[in-house]
Amino acid sequence: MSTQPISSAEINSDGTIVKKKLGIGFWLCVTWLGLMALIALFTPLLPLKSPTQNFLDPANGRPPYSPSWKHWFGSDKDARDVFARTLHGARISLTVGFAAITAGFLVGGTVGVISGYYKGWIDRISSFVFIVLLSFPSLVLAILLTSLIERSLLTISLVLGLLSIAPVGRLARAATLQFADREFVLAARQIGATNRRIIIKEILPNVAIPMSSLALLGMAVAVVAEGGLSFLGLSVEKGITWGGLIQLGSESSKTLEEAPWIAFFPILMLFLTVLSLNFAGDRVRNYFDVKETTL
Amino acid sequence: MNPPDVVRSEAEPLVETVEIKTHFKTPRGIARAVDGVSIQIRRGQSLGVVGESGSGKTVLSRSIMGLLPRNGVIREGSVRYQGQEIGNRSSKEMRAIWGREMAMIFQDPMTSLNPVMKVGKQITESLRLHLGMSASEAMTIAEKLFRDVRIPEPTRRLNQYPHELSGGMRQRVMIAIALACGPNMLFADEPTTALDVTVQAQILELISEQKRDRNMSLLLVTHNLGVVAGYTDEIAVMYGGKIVEKAPTKTLFADTKMPYTEALLRSIPRLDQPSHSRLATIPGRPPDIVHPPKGCRFAPRCAYVRELCLNEEPELQQASTPDHTYRCFYPVGSPEYLERKVELTRKGEFVSTGDMS
Amino acid sequence: MRYYVQRVALAILLLLAVSMLTFGALNVLGDPLFNILGPVAGDVNNPESVEMINAAKREFNLDRSLPVRYGLWVSDFVQGDFGVTFSSTGQPPVSGVISERLPRTITLVLMAQFFAIFVSIPWALITASRAGKVSDRISTINAFFLVAMPNFAIAVILKFVFSIKLGWMPLTYTADDPLRSRIFQMVLPALTIGLPVAAVYQRLLRTDLITTLQQDFILLARTKGLSKWRILFVHALRPSLFSFITVVGLNTGALIGGSIVSETVFRIPGIGSTLVESVLRNDFPVVLAIVMIVASSFVIINLLVDFAYTLIDPRVRR
Repeated sequence: MSTQPISSAEINSDGTIVKKKLGIGFWLCVTWLGLMALIALFTPLLPLKSPTQNFLDPANGRPPYSPSWKHWFGSDKDARDVFARTLHGARISLTVGFAAITAGFLVGGTVGVISGYYKGWIDRISSFVFIVLLSFPSLVLAILLTSLIERSLLTISLVLGLLSIAPVGRLARAATLQFADREFVLAARQIGATNRRIIIKEILPNVAIPMSSLALLGMAVAVVAEGGLSFLGLSVEKGITWGGLIQLGSESSKTLEEAPWIAFFPILMLFLTVLSLNFAGDRVRNYFDVKETTL
Repeated sequence: MNPPDVVRSEAEPLVETVEIKTHFKTPRGIARAVDGVSIQIRRGQSLGVVGESGSGKTVLSRSIMGLLPRNGVIREGSVRYQGQEIGNRSSKEMRAIWGREMAMIFQDPMTSLNPVMKVGKQITESLRLHLGMSASEAMTIAEKLFRDVRIPEPTRRLNQYPHELSGGMRQRVMIAIALACGPNMLFADEPTTALDVTVQAQILELISEQKRDRNMSLLLVTHNLGVVAGYTDEIAVMYGGKIVEKAPTKTLFADTKMPYTEALLRSIPRLDQPSHSRLATIPGRPPDIVHPPKGCRFAPRCAYVRELCLNEEPELQQASTPDHTYRCFYPVGSPEYLERKVELTRKGEFVSTGDMS
Repeated sequence: MRYYVQRVALAILLLLAVSMLTFGALNVLGDPLFNILGPVAGDVNNPESVEMINAAKREFNLDRSLPVRYGLWVSDFVQGDFGVTFSSTGQPPVSGVISERLPRTITLVLMAQFFAIFVSIPWALITASRAGKVSDRISTINAFFLVAMPNFAIAVILKFVFSIKLGWMPLTYTADDPLRSRIFQMVLPALTIGLPVAAVYQRLLRTDLITTLQQDFILLARTKGLSKWRILFVHALRPSLFSFITVVGLNTGALIGGSIVSETVFRIPGIGSTLVESVLRNDFPVVLAIVMIVASSFVIINLLVDFAYTLIDPRVRR
């Protein structure tokens, strides 16, 4: 995954440096994300039309119907309500994104911190594994793996999680290396703290800072990756996903030409979500003034 | 090289500043780096500007040359070159002067030379730009310049990168770059500070020689009085953004007026001191240029301070000759000064280091 | 010299690991027999089926152990024999399929990379020289938006705007068209993957340029009276390119991944879209071959990027 850092050099036009604060943009993004999370959790309970029902309306001619009061986002070729389908799409797309990055963090983070702390052969092996994982363009690996398994919410999340282990692990390791030799760690060791205690009390809190911005950015990447997979038809079987909706809406040039709303509303939702995650992640990084450490 | 010259009256200064101020906007407030400085440099003359870090000496040379950042700078006063006002010119307008009429050499030649460009090219660039030379003409001149600055094996060196040269050679390259188009005015900002002691003297000699040969004016900025002693016609001592004493070099050493200058002189280690004598330092730290103290800026650290010094700022006054000015209420030699000196000597705080001249 | 040898050895090791993983994954998690024969593979009671099963096993070496099969595959692979596809009728050799389609993907990726580089460099130079001003801020926002759009979304939008609504660009790729029209047909697909990558390059280069512009040698260049553009282009650019080059090299992998999507949307028969098709058809030899090619190019390109470093920075040269 190419999580490239977005620059944090902020300079005012009169040469002074902008003071660090999270800013209103950050909170806007958080609001949007919160909204999406709520939608993802509570969709079945919301007063929406059914996402699979065909709302044929002979009076209006043949579907697809353009956006109207009845169908806020219009309807697709089979007269299904795009608004309801888009909101349902949020469920899988966001859940996978969240689960993937969580799994990736747990595994990758742990491996990274342990490698960075203990060094030695653990470090060499895990670094090699990371490099091997990073030798595939991530989409290729994702395609490879999803083609071999039964595609459920869990397995897709695990596959994407697997892909995030390497970048997360690398960052965790680098951050740990930075701190492991610092004086406060040596001090803790001197008073007899066990390694486990040191890791938990001294290293983790410091490593958590750069990781938090990576969590947001990583989730953005996971959501995009899931979108890509579902666009290609390789995500959760029979699920409604943003990528799948976009693919249906753009499959034929005719559909795209006549009823662009079918594809564009899911695109809009996906875009806003990914943008919010990226922006929030970048603001967090700015706030803590983290530079992406290289190996 | 200098064209055979338009006859200019020797009396008219080549470069002149009138009460220039350069203030920077900072998060803490406005930093008054240069706070009212007036100097004149005549053709072929050299002026040394001496002071501690933070005295404003570097900002002064940059202000005269116009090399300040675009934003966050407030300028006042007038800078004149060959009689014309240049203080209000834009960077674009100044480009005609930079390199051609005025040049600058910096303290650290390792960071001041482009690390990924061959040194020869760094010289020919100027030549081709300002003098319109072809590549081969420029290379020939570059070689000659290398010989002028005494770089051995000039042809080979032209094709090398800065990191392949020693510190002294890099500084010579920088001098060559500065001299390439035959400027009338050279600013040297701590040119020897980053060099070994043995090399320092060579570089100063070189600068001096080139100045003589080309009839160039020189503004030499340094924190080290020892450096200016042999190589300047006139010295201006800066403190807290202002000039606190200015005199022809010999006069400054022979007839020091301002206690700060005296303190600087005393802090130069000398060979004829008995071994293991304590080096005299000036206690305290340079003034805060954002919130300068009321009164004389040196007062908080001055051994001869009295109440007037803390309350009022002294103006520049003339000493016994019109080209010697200083800024002090109780200068060296005044009754109050002598009184205090006696007290200090009695307390053992005054280290006598003998004749200063 | 030793440095080069070490890196090459590491690269080979890496490729072996990658191939083992892929081969293992495909053969262990998947079911080759099923893919070749279909439901017949499970029909062990019928003597005819059993006959077919055994024949298939012999032909595809499925009766040997995994390590042996791997070894056989490796020796075939390095000689350019990628086996035959599993499920097409007539079973054409995989290498044939690949050699026909690979050039298209290569063209696409190269076009995207050129575009990204030649747009991002001037863009970065302009924004670095105006750091903090309005035009820079706007550019930042634009870049942000671009990075937030997934490939397939960009593809759909570009297709909609330029092919459908404006009619400037052709809709599909036709393999039989003359070279010039084919290149033209690849413009939108190349833009799809090149644009977000250009934004990434520009951000990085801009940051490095701003840092470089604060160095002393830039001040010296100013004192020489050089123009702003000359300083930017001749003095500031080259020392700032180090991270840029690394990122360009590393992103080639991302571009290859992106070509999968782009080829699918714009219906270009390259190895990206072939990968997807083969995966959906469970055609292992093709999948294996493509994955190996992609991974190999990735590793080799990273190696070249490392080596290129020494050319750009004379200080690293030994």
